[in-house]
Amino acid sequence: MSLARRNLFQDKTRLALSIGGVALAVMLILIMTGFLAGMNRQITSYLDHSDGSIIVAQKGISNLLGATSLLPPRVESDVEAVRGVSDAIPILSQFIILDLHGKKQPVYLIGYDTAQGGGPWKIAQGRAPQTDEEIILDRILAERHDLAINDEIEIMGSNFTIVGLSDDTTSWMTSYLFMRRSAVESLLRAEGAVSFLLVEPAQGQERSDVVNRLNELDGVNVLTKDEMKANDIKLFARVFSAPLRLMIAIAFLVGIMVVGLVIYTATIERQREYGVLKAIGASNRVLYRVVAAQALFASLAGSAVGILFAYGAADLIMFLRPQFLIVFDYVDMAWALAAGLGMALAAALFPARVIARLAPAEVFRK
Amino acid sequence: MIRLAFRNLFQNKARLVISVGGVSLALLLILALDAIFTGVERQNTAYIDNSGADIFVAQKDVRNMHMAFSSLPISVVDDVKAVDGVEEVTPILYLSNMIVVGEERTLAYVIGLPEDASMGAPWKMDSGKAIPESGEAIIDRRVAQKAGVEIGDTVEILAREFTVMGFSDETTNIVNSIAFISASDFGEQRGAGVVSYLLVRTQPNVEVEAVASRIEDEVDGVTALPRESFSSQEARVVKDMSTDVIAIMNSIGFLIGSAVMALTVYTAVLSRRREFGVLKALGARNGHLYRVVLAQALMSVLLGFVVGLAFTLLIAAIVPRLGLSMTLEVSRASLVKVGIVSLVITALSAVLPIRQIAGLDPALVFRGK
Repeated sequence: MSLARRNLFQDKTRLALSIGGVALAVMLILIMTGFLAGMNRQITSYLDHSDGSIIVAQKGISNLLGATSLLPPRVESDVEAVRGVSDAIPILSQFIILDLHGKKQPVYLIGYDTAQGGGPWKIAQGRAPQTDEEIILDRILAERHDLAINDEIEIMGSNFTIVGLSDDTTSWMTSYLFMRRSAVESLLRAEGAVSFLLVEPAQGQERSDVVNRLNELDGVNVLTKDEMKANDIKLFARVFSAPLRLMIAIAFLVGIMVVGLVIYTATIERQREYGVLKAIGASNRVLYRVVAAQALFASLAGSAVGILFAYGAADLIMFLRPQFLIVFDYVDMAWALAAGLGMALAAALFPARVIARLAPAEVFRK
Repeated sequence: MIRLAFRNLFQNKARLVISVGGVSLALLLILALDAIFTGVERQNTAYIDNSGADIFVAQKDVRNMHMAFSSLPISVVDDVKAVDGVEEVTPILYLSNMIVVGEERTLAYVIGLPEDASMGAPWKMDSGKAIPESGEAIIDRRVAQKAGVEIGDTVEILAREFTVMGFSDETTNIVNSIAFISASDFGEQRGAGVVSYLLVRTQPNVEVEAVASRIEDEVDGVTALPRESFSSQEARVVKDMSTDVIAIMNSIGFLIGSAVMALTVYTAVLSRRREFGVLKALGARNGHLYRVVLAQALMSVLLGFVVGLAFTLLIAAIVPRLGLSMTLEVSRASLVKVGIVSLVITALSAVLPIRQIAGLDPALVFRGK
């Protein structure tokens, strides 16, 4: 094993480059998975924080984000009349696009009744809207576009004043925008419209019983908040998982190639020494082990550095672009190390052939 | 010099494969991501591009369809018709909703078409009719295939049932598809008296921009854009959302590409150290040797570029066959960008070996070092 170590450390620059290459590949894998995990957290933030544990949506709609839900008229009172329902909070929501400083910014507009709930859960600054001309904007979105409390903003032909800034309501794709429900009704020319009802079962009521009873109403699809969260994540995952997997596969291949190249050249250079070892009776297996040990060391060191890189890069990205959320957990770390291990095993195949073909006598002829 | 670089490069096939492979993968990272987003952009504007309208009229300040909402009072139709230079107006209703077939749900832009629609209908039909009557729906062929729907089957849209009477083509993208129903059905479900967008055809030989600004001047509460500008506004949604993601991924791809290239050029030069020493001892100047190294780096980066591009095109060809509603499209801008990145990678990767050569002592080679 000391032979493996010496082979590897003999050229420090090469070792540093190879560890760096693997580290970058591992970093890429981690950033991609962390990005997806962060996105999932951002996608469900409204459902994570809003009231109620059951959602009443339009028939056929099972997502909060994605499709526009419009409930049949008067469904609110029908829902409240269902046995076991303690509270039903109506919201009217719609994706819209703001043109801010010449940039397209999709926002998820939520109209809520300030007395009932369904609005922002954390107001960083300011207050809730009291008139139909007042809005609460996401704090990070406001900062990105130099907007502050009391600033005016035009949305779909109407003027609004920013009276509050909310926290935890951003993601890299969209942010949340809160208004009174009546304001959204006139903006969308949809008087009395309700998109979703956030329902809380009465105490002592089994949630699934309440869901079943609510589902008997006409024109609605009733599901638990957890189901809806899972549906939203699934919807976005469908869009992002294919490109993401492609990137991870590429990063993995790059890692293999980097380690493979280093071990291969290190082996070629030491060809004579390996030949001598063979000539004095070392079996192929011993030599394989030497090569594999080198690959393993380079990959694992690279993975470890890659994890550090990933943390650094994630912090940097989130500092420069606060709308991004990148989160890692131990499972991701384990995967990164496993990926490093996989790279090592695949990379060791490159030089193994060289060693196997090496004729012991050859070395004496050179 | 070039021949020496060439021979150095091709002398060791395994190293060549690894270096070209590594750099092509890194460039593939950049190319493929760009291609994915360009493809999404293109798909996103398909409806607008193929609508047949010269001008799109929407609620004031609304310049998009994707993730957007527009609502106009129906009286606007006559107001716009009265504007000088307008030949024809087709009002459409639009909402993002679900097509439900049994347990299968797919996200769709639902378009409500008037029965006499001359614009905004599906532009490429696979089978069946293009303009739905009451109770009928036209859905995308791929969505139908996936859900096992045949012409005459029933699907649920906007919480009511429709009979599928036609399959359209080119009406699906990575996120959703487009479904067409009649405006009267749409209105029943969503309340009458409003429309979403107006598709306007101008009279021949009038300037479209001038008509669009006349519509904005003469009709209250609307934004009117020529089709091309509306389409480029739509493309910008994807562009603006993805700029940061692309920048991050591109930098990582760039770093990986640089590391791989630096490593391969470095090891290649290292193993030829003796030869370089001999050349030096024979009187070759450092400048000459640098050029050999640069030429070698350039050749492998260019090879990597070609292979990376070939892979991207291959993926672009395979992906649609896998039934994924994703298209990859390599844009010229992306090729230029990756070309520049390749050159920078070449220059960076040559730095280390050049320093190595500069420090090489010709006499050393004779001592067997």
